[in-house]
Amino acid sequence: MTLLGQTSAWSGIPVGEHLWVFSPMIALIATMLAVVACPIVVGRSARTIARVATLGVIVTLGLTLATWGEVSTNPVSGLSTQPTSGMLIADNLSIGFQVILMVFLLGVIYLWKIGSAGSEENAPEFFILLLGSALGMILMVSTSNLLMIVLGIEMASLPSYAIVGFNKRDRKGAEASVKYMIFGAVCAAIMLYGVSLLYGMVGSLSVADLARYTVEQFAGGQHPLLLSVGLLCLLVGPAFKISAVPFHFWCPDAFEGARIEVTTWLSVASKAAGLILLARMVSTFAGAVDEPLAMSVLKPLAWTIGIMAAVTCTLGNFAAYPQQSVKRLLAYSSIAHAGYMMMAVAVFLHPQADRSGEPMAALMFYIIVYVFMNLGAFGVTALVSWETGSDRIEGFTGLMRRAPWLAVPMVVCLISLVGLPPMAGFLAKWWVLVALGSLADGWGANLAWFLIIVAVVNTLISLYYYLRIVVVMTLRDTGEPVIRSPIGGLALVNFCALMLLALLVVSAPLKATADRFSRNLFDATTVTQPAGEPVAAALDRAD
Amino acid sequence: MSILTWIVFVPMLGALLCMVVPRRQIRTVAVAASLVTFLLSLSLFATFFNPAGETSGEGFGSRYGMLQHVQRATWIESKSFAIEYFVGMDGLSFPLIVLTTLISLLSCLASWNFDKWAINKGPRAYFALFLLLETGMLGVFVSLDFFLFYIFWEVMLLPMYFLIGAWGGPRREYAAIKFFLFTLAGSVLMLVALVAMYFYSDQAITAEMARQGIEGVASGYREGVIISHGTFDLMELATNPAIQNHFAASSTLFLGWRFAPLMFLFLFVGFAVKLPCVPVHTWLPDAHVEAPTPISMILAGVLLKMGGYGFLRLCYPIFPTGGMTWAFPVAVIGVVSIIYGALCAMAQTDFKRLVAYSSVSHMGYVMLGIAVMTDTGFQGALFQMIAHGISSPMCFFLVGMVYERAHHREINRFGGLWLTMPRYGTLATIGFFASLGLPGLCGFIGEVWVLLGVFAAAEKFTWAIPMAILAAAGVVLTAGYILWLIRRVYLGKEREEHAGFPDASGRETFILVPMALLCIALGVFPMQTVFIFTNGTLDAMLAQMARVIGMGS
Repeated sequence: MTLLGQTSAWSGIPVGEHLWVFSPMIALIATMLAVVACPIVVGRSARTIARVATLGVIVTLGLTLATWGEVSTNPVSGLSTQPTSGMLIADNLSIGFQVILMVFLLGVIYLWKIGSAGSEENAPEFFILLLGSALGMILMVSTSNLLMIVLGIEMASLPSYAIVGFNKRDRKGAEASVKYMIFGAVCAAIMLYGVSLLYGMVGSLSVADLARYTVEQFAGGQHPLLLSVGLLCLLVGPAFKISAVPFHFWCPDAFEGARIEVTTWLSVASKAAGLILLARMVSTFAGAVDEPLAMSVLKPLAWTIGIMAAVTCTLGNFAAYPQQSVKRLLAYSSIAHAGYMMMAVAVFLHPQADRSGEPMAALMFYIIVYVFMNLGAFGVTALVSWETGSDRIEGFTGLMRRAPWLAVPMVVCLISLVGLPPMAGFLAKWWVLVALGSLADGWGANLAWFLIIVAVVNTLISLYYYLRIVVVMTLRDTGEPVIRSPIGGLALVNFCALMLLALLVVSAPLKATADRFSRNLFDATTVTQPAGEPVAAALDRAD
Repeated sequence: MSILTWIVFVPMLGALLCMVVPRRQIRTVAVAASLVTFLLSLSLFATFFNPAGETSGEGFGSRYGMLQHVQRATWIESKSFAIEYFVGMDGLSFPLIVLTTLISLLSCLASWNFDKWAINKGPRAYFALFLLLETGMLGVFVSLDFFLFYIFWEVMLLPMYFLIGAWGGPRREYAAIKFFLFTLAGSVLMLVALVAMYFYSDQAITAEMARQGIEGVASGYREGVIISHGTFDLMELATNPAIQNHFAASSTLFLGWRFAPLMFLFLFVGFAVKLPCVPVHTWLPDAHVEAPTPISMILAGVLLKMGGYGFLRLCYPIFPTGGMTWAFPVAVIGVVSIIYGALCAMAQTDFKRLVAYSSVSHMGYVMLGIAVMTDTGFQGALFQMIAHGISSPMCFFLVGMVYERAHHREINRFGGLWLTMPRYGTLATIGFFASLGLPGLCGFIGEVWVLLGVFAAAEKFTWAIPMAILAAAGVVLTAGYILWLIRRVYLGKEREEHAGFPDASGRETFILVPMALLCIALGVFPMQTVFIFTNGTLDAMLAQMARVIGMGS
């Protein structure tokens, strides 16, 4: 095991090349620095800061796309002498996530500009934290090294705690922030404990080594207590980010207390990062098994994640029933959706299996659609609550008359969240079901059909509380005044709704993109590399 | 492009047009769109008068899977996985397509006086949703890819929900949500079946290829086509021997249960809710009573038929062994629906609720006829669906006309309406007698055919004769509540409070007369109007099913 600090180890690393593929992260850091520098150079104007941040995000996005071509055929496990335990990974998955995240970040910044730019005094600090959490999320999905995983989760979490309670005069936000932080700290501690246990047993921080060790132990018919405890503790970290039950308690409070742009950001980005991190670990474990038929040794892991997913989406849906605040209702809905997505993560497929990329593609597809659904739903909630000063469900009464251009996209987004055709939310669920179905061929049939039934029954459960909002918007009217919203906000939410409709009819490009994100999933983590062979050569071979 | 595609999407184009035209033109656009759709669907009759001289059900050939106006295009593709836009028509779907376009046109005309309704806000939304609903319904009948079928099946929910919820009676919110929840509850298990049927057919095909050492398995119904993966093609699922053997084998398990009976059940629940049958019928009276008249017509005329169509298209041809396993429970549910529905109808004092319960009763015959799996039973069930699809929208429109004038639906407060409104009274009598099943009118043929079908199943099922007797007793109950209804509402002395009611207007007559004529035509010429189109396909389907059941035993 080699740590970065040991100078002798640097000799074999093609640093320049690696710096290029990781340049999006560097660009993001540069943007943060630029935001810090802004007040000194051009003043603290919120709009200027937002412009700088937008520019930085666009540059990051551009760099991501520029490096993609290279990375897609030649995934890099870099910044280490050992390609199997690289500190950072750049492959289709991480690049894909960066693209999604940056596009989503642009949407969130835009929402912020509409709603909060006028009243915000501490814009530079806000953006440093926002971009910092984005960087943390990118780190989370770009590694399969336990140390970097911990660092990534912390990097993503710490700024999140701060932006949840960013307005210090807001008591609710402060309370939410403290709850979030205490919960996060405990989860981080548990995860660190788990990592230390695992490191003690395996002697390496690489997830690939951990996976091999685990598979050896499990294949021998042993399930050592220490290893199981270590793995469970490790799971707590991503589960906290995903807000999977029972690590979800922070989620409703934080989402309700935070400003709505922040809620939008956390509801998608932090969960997506956690899910992809978990999925990458899962695929590493699957890659450590010798042959497709021996996958059943990982059954305990699959069932653990699967049951967690089933409980998460069921509980999230039921807990949403009594909510009166739309923000809080959508918080519980996001817990439920995390559960659906986590189901795709529970599908352990061997790299050589027929559809090995399918679960990850389903997850990416879901995340992309989820971006539109949540940006739309939270966007409408934001526009309504900024105008009426309340995010209660009653505040939406008669929206169809008061603001048809808000009500129609809201209906589309909510029905899409239920997962009914003709919205893209149905296809997102569909691909998860198909991914689960591909597990049904062998050892995982029971798990797969169990999860499929849980998923479809949950669709039914969730219908009722989404309909509550639809009902007050469309079927009731108490004569409240008309709502006028900024044209930019209307454009944003209507665009989201339009995408949800269009993506069902023409889903092929999106599916192709999701497939592309999940291609070469196993290369960066499972390549077995003889000592001394150059990194690039080994990776070429893996192609 | 297949004409069926046009039939499905013309209403949707009309809906888009409704969004942009000036407010006063909306209803014209809507009627025009549904009229065009209806005319297009009439052109389908040409299929049967082709130069080959085939004027019977033979137009669809002698085996299940002969289709007309097919259009297939890959829609969603992934590795080893293709969802198709696959539409086509056979004797099973053909009459239902024409029925749908006809009832849609008539109920669109019934919406002509939208501006005078109690709730008349948002005609744009109303007509757009109405046309979207029509697209959804037609889509269900023409799509032959299970995935596409499911999409259309669900697409229909939302427009219906809003149409009941926004323009309905006092308890519209409750009725709309109940409709939505019940239907979705039924269809979530269909989604499980959708996934499972794909993966199990994939297993079947893969195993067959491995067994024979070949690259692909010959399609069950298309000449020269080879399939190498699982499929969503409803025809393929029903006709491919490899898939059918795998589905029917007792060693094929799903979570420890036998595959065919369980999948049959998953699908059955969804269609039974839609049909609806006891005990999942409770959404129907609520939805009917609260829905505006044209929506009730659609609901009774077309939506309920989707349940029966689902049985005949999915449950039985694909899982015939499941049908054998569940024959007795299904028949019991059918008979209970007949009798319970009739008894409930008898107890109603609300005119519209009575007609709603009579629908439950009539749909019970459909279920019973299908359950016994004889050719007469199938034919009777399909005929009953079509007959009810004509008579029951007519009854609902008749109720709606009275309600518009009287603003109440209390049966006991009416009386002597025939004297007040002679033209209306005559047409009403035809409609209700058709619903009653009077010989010479359409309701009779369906019921008799079903009963004959059940008797014919006596060799297969020992319980068939008692069932038939019970179901025949239901006919008496039906006669009871309809005759009693006619006496209370239309006969007797003219009442003061109703004396000023105008007789049926030109528009109303224009809506009622086609349905009245069809009631008579179907009753007098059942062969020429329905059976020649449907029997070929149904017989072929039964032959196909018999082969599979024979193999299984």
